[in-house]
Amino acid sequence: MGEMPDHEDKSEDKDAADIVLDPRIQEAIGKSLKAHYDDLIQAPVPDRFLVLLAELEAKERRDGQ
Amino acid sequence: MASDEFREGLIAELSNLRAFAVSLCGSVQQADDLVQETMLKAWGNSEKFQPGTSLRAWLFTILRNTYYSLYRKRGREVQDSDGTYAQRLTVSGEQESALDLADFRVALAKLSEEHREVLIMVGASGLSYEEAAEICGVAVGTIKSRVNRARAKLADLLGITSVDEIGPDRNTVAVTHQSPADMART
Repeated sequence: MGEMPDHEDKSEDKDAADIVLDPRIQEAIGKSLKAHYDDLIQAPVPDRFLVLLAELEAKERRDGQ
Repeated sequence: MASDEFREGLIAELSNLRAFAVSLCGSVQQADDLVQETMLKAWGNSEKFQPGTSLRAWLFTILRNTYYSLYRKRGREVQDSDGTYAQRLTVSGEQESALDLADFRVALAKLSEEHREVLIMVGASGLSYEEAAEICGVAVGTIKSRVNRARAKLADLLGITSVDEIGPDRNTVAVTHQSPADMART
């Protein structure tokens, strides 16, 4: 009967060369990625992480010398 | 013993670790557990870090490995358990070329982990293709093709496979199989 698609998603390296997005779309996606990430970066780091580090250091000092 | 320099570096990278973790998990709560686990491992293995190389890349490697071995969930549903990440899906009829952040995050969460992680690493966190390749344990060319595919998939999910189409129309063809000639026609 009809032809079977012979390369679906197998060889991603080869297929990907075919994908060309409009530069404006690429730019919109790039900007959104940065906006997403920068928004997360700007969130204050919770105290629990600094507390954890202080505990790790204290333990190291006790166990160390 | 972890040096002061390592400690300072770790603190400086915490916000990046969180951003990467949230991007991977889609849940802030789970992300913070993941960051904590990463910090413990990094601290315990600090002597393995090579000064002069990228601490961010080293930490991302630990975080990613931890995620895939401990935290990964099956299925590709949008994980939004604590509601602080992607707010809601609102599709405005007259979207301009700037994408709505909430819409973008919903689409990002729908990507496969493989695609999402490379977009974040290369497109947002400032890592190089080479560093991303090392983190994922694949060739640089593979990272490049994943980034291309991921962008195409995102554009598809967002319904912006051509510039004229910006908007909520979901009847778009799978962009991954469009040839450059197809793109030129639209």
